[in-house]
Amino acid sequence: MTVSCKLCLATIDPAVLIRNPLIWGILCGSVALALLLPYRSRQARWPGVVMGILGTGLVITGLPLELHWSEAGLFYVLTVITLVSAVATISMENAVYAAIWFALSLLGTAGLFFFQGAQFVAVATIVVYAGAIVVTLLFVIMLAQPDGQATYDRISWARSSKTVSVITAALLVTLLTITLEQVGPSLSAPTLPTGLLEKEHVALLGKHLFTEHLIEIEIAGTLLLVALVGAVAVLIHAKEESSLDSISNDE
Amino acid sequence: MNEVPLLQNYLVTSSLLFGIGLLGFMVRRNMIVMFLSVEMMLQGISLSFAAWGRFHGNWDGQIMVLFIIAVAGCEAAIALALILVLVQRSQTLDVAHWQQLHEDGQSRFNEPSVPATDPSRIPWPQLTPAGIEPETDPEAESHRKRI
Amino acid sequence: MIFSMTPIHPIALIPALPLLAAILTAILGARILGPRSHWPVMVATAGAFLLSLGLLLQGFQAASDEHHHGTSSETVSLWTWVHVEDAHQAASSTGQPSSDLQIDIVLRVDPLTIVMLTMVTFVSLLVIIFAAGYMQGDRGYWRFFSYIGLFIFSMTMLVSVSNFLLLFVFWEAVGMCSYLLIGFWYEKPEAAAAGKKAFLVNRVGDFGFMLAIFLIWCTYGTLNYYSYDGGPGVLDSTLAISSTTGLLICLLLMLGACGKSAQFPLHVWLPDAMEGPTPVSALIHAATMVTAGIYMVTRCWPLFEASEGAQVTVACIGGFTALLAGLIAMTQFDLKRVLAYSTISQLGYMFLALGTGSRAGVMAGMFHLVTHAFFKALLFLGSGSVMHATGGTVDMRQFGGLRHRMRITHATFLIGCLALSGFPFLAGFFSKDAILAAVHERGLETAYGGLYTLLFWVATFTALLTAIYTFRAFFMTFYGTEHIPAEAGEHPHESPPSMWIPLAVLAAGTCVIGLAHHPLEHFLLGTPSLSHLPLAEAGHGWGIQVMSACVALGGIGLAAWLYLGSGQLLGHITAPLKRCGLYQLSEHTFYLDSLYWGVIIWPLRMISLLCYAFDRWVIDRLVDACGRRPRTLGDLMRSLQMGLTSFYALAMMLGLLVLMAARLLAELN
Repeated sequence: MTVSCKLCLATIDPAVLIRNPLIWGILCGSVALALLLPYRSRQARWPGVVMGILGTGLVITGLPLELHWSEAGLFYVLTVITLVSAVATISMENAVYAAIWFALSLLGTAGLFFFQGAQFVAVATIVVYAGAIVVTLLFVIMLAQPDGQATYDRISWARSSKTVSVITAALLVTLLTITLEQVGPSLSAPTLPTGLLEKEHVALLGKHLFTEHLIEIEIAGTLLLVALVGAVAVLIHAKEESSLDSISNDE
Repeated sequence: MNEVPLLQNYLVTSSLLFGIGLLGFMVRRNMIVMFLSVEMMLQGISLSFAAWGRFHGNWDGQIMVLFIIAVAGCEAAIALALILVLVQRSQTLDVAHWQQLHEDGQSRFNEPSVPATDPSRIPWPQLTPAGIEPETDPEAESHRKRI
Repeated sequence: MIFSMTPIHPIALIPALPLLAAILTAILGARILGPRSHWPVMVATAGAFLLSLGLLLQGFQAASDEHHHGTSSETVSLWTWVHVEDAHQAASSTGQPSSDLQIDIVLRVDPLTIVMLTMVTFVSLLVIIFAAGYMQGDRGYWRFFSYIGLFIFSMTMLVSVSNFLLLFVFWEAVGMCSYLLIGFWYEKPEAAAAGKKAFLVNRVGDFGFMLAIFLIWCTYGTLNYYSYDGGPGVLDSTLAISSTTGLLICLLLMLGACGKSAQFPLHVWLPDAMEGPTPVSALIHAATMVTAGIYMVTRCWPLFEASEGAQVTVACIGGFTALLAGLIAMTQFDLKRVLAYSTISQLGYMFLALGTGSRAGVMAGMFHLVTHAFFKALLFLGSGSVMHATGGTVDMRQFGGLRHRMRITHATFLIGCLALSGFPFLAGFFSKDAILAAVHERGLETAYGGLYTLLFWVATFTALLTAIYTFRAFFMTFYGTEHIPAEAGEHPHESPPSMWIPLAVLAAGTCVIGLAHHPLEHFLLGTPSLSHLPLAEAGHGWGIQVMSACVALGGIGLAAWLYLGSGQLLGHITAPLKRCGLYQLSEHTFYLDSLYWGVIIWPLRMISLLCYAFDRWVIDRLVDACGRRPRTLGDLMRSLQMGLTSFYALAMMLGLLVLMAARLLAELN
């Protein structure tokens, strides 16, 4: 049941835009990020944190929901967890802490998936992402950066490029969200027959997956195999080269 | 009736997540944190897909998310392998070390406030020895170049 | 009659044979013919000469048979070259209908053409025989004969065609052959420069000729000489044109003739043209090419006849040039240069004769042309023989007393000098006397009479100078103490038979040709252009003849007195001349070359240097700057590629931002 909906718009009205708290939230958030991102050692964190709280509040205000307050509250909590963890990930000076915060962000995202009724996807996120990828990342940090932190973690690029990056990201996000406010009420979409805790969810998903998207499954499997082989090949080749180097260095 | 606001909120969240991930990729210098930011961008997109899937009332969104997870796994494997190789060469996770693709005549970008890492000072992990030490011939050991 | 049965008319064969020989020599000469390269051209020219003789005899027969003073000419049409319908839109005032431009290759056989052809082919044949001996061993032997063949073809066509445009085509062709032959030894820079100078100075004359052709076309609507195939002709046109137009046409034609026949102010190329081989000088610059101008004026006589101002101009130019050249030749030490200036002087005489406007004058001019061809070619070939003996030196101060070694050359050269000076009863005497008589008679008329009388005395004085400088050269070369230059080798010897036989033939011809004045005059009257010349007055008295004989003998005697004895008397005369600068004036050709250099050549060189500097420093720099701009811009953009991944990501995102904004804004509006 696909409904073609066109989320486009008649005109962008600046007057309406300025009163939109979402835009202000994005603005505050970008300022907060600019302050939080590491640019020198031992910088004060509190201005960024304050701005961040302000920005988060504005964003939340800009996301109205017509639900029961408990459900809406659950959504807002999950959103806050996700976004705050994301901000923390990129502004941590310690790589290990960043990984842990990212895992928390993944939990928030999984919760948001659950809120949509996508049970399997939520659990898959936790298992694969948080369980496998983040752990592997931590192993790599152990091998590469035993200190867990380094000077280059505390110092970003030149200040100008950081500012430009922040502005770019803010503009991008603004562009992505700016159109949403103009959606007319004429759109309506049917809901999934399944609810939040549908018992047959995985079976139905599996059935749909293996009947309609069989080829994609096979290709994804092949891709995984190729990635596995590739990763091992890269490492073996590198190991041989480094052993050659060490032989030549010894002699 | 409340589908559209829900969709809108999810889209806003996903775009914010994407934006934060983008910012992290562009600003941070640690290769691991950059990789984390990439994963964060993928998460944001997955969120968006799931929301659209629910909005349209079909499974396609979630299936897309599954595939995104699969691809992200592959990507993580290879990326981490490459990162390990790079670390072996340069003993640092700093992405600013790798500037060989600059133009002719371009001077190297040096961040003066970052001191160069001294490989000898990197404390590599030490495992405590366990078990009984085997008997070895000290002469053979002294003459062998490598073990 | 003789030739009426042959399928190809001989007038078409006469140019064709040398052309074919030239092409054959060019193709086969380098590898196959080698030292035998002279045979094709020699045989072809001999054939052409025999055909011309046949035509001459036929013409004489026709003229004497019918006893008519009408014109006799037959035409042979080969093919149509150009045909443009309605090309000429005449002005309505003249009442002419619009006419087509039709250029047919038509060869005309009339007495003027036949006389020129015979003279050209005869002298060419003798020169080729001489050159076979003179140029032996030269590296470009085959090339020489190929060029000579080409030249003979061009010259014979020039006198045979019946159209002004074709005349111009072959006018240029002989100019080109002259350039090729003057610069024959092209590795020598003086020779190459002389060739270039000849061509460029001729070009100035050709420019005048071209303007004349344009004017003729606009005025008459046709370029044919005579009416042909129903169309009008220029020279027998009954159209009434304004006197200024006629004068202008004649003056422009005269400019062309000055260029080709080396008259003032375009005479500067002929002395330098002596850098070419001596046979070339003998053929082209004595007998044939330089006479093309005279031929053209004679052919266009009806146009000149109508304009008295043109006649006066022609006479003045001729007389002035004769005097100028004669004065310059007095102080030259280069044997060939003396002969070159004497050629210029004699050509001036011919123009002076043509400028008198009477029948006697025109006939005298043509007669002098024929006789001059003989004895000037003889003199040039003789000087070639001298150069052959002295190993290439031509400066008379470096050799002397050669008469014992080179008896045949001495004898023939003497005959040539006597003819040039106007010694009684040799060819030059009759022709020069005829010219003087014509000028004198013209001086007795009322219109411009005083001017012509002045020109008469100028011509007489020049005759005296001619005798003096000719015999000066003769005595300096063949008399005095015997003195051989070092380049001569062991001992100088007489030339081989291939070289002295033509000398002997020409010398014999010089003695005999003097008797041909009246038959020639009678014959030439059959030419359509010359048929209605005003009849000459009653026969001139003996006074002119006696005076000219005295002048000649006096000149010879003066030269002998000055140059045969010791040099003391000569020193006494030249010293005051040197002191007052007249000697230097003459020696440096009245500084005309320097004048041309300063007024024309040096400014042009400076302008070209300026243009070169502008081209190199401004335009090239501009172009280079344009070329460098992408590089410069690229260099600016290159600084963005720092090799840092994050900057690449930033750039990508900025691009994405722009694309998204554009898309969204497009959808909005």
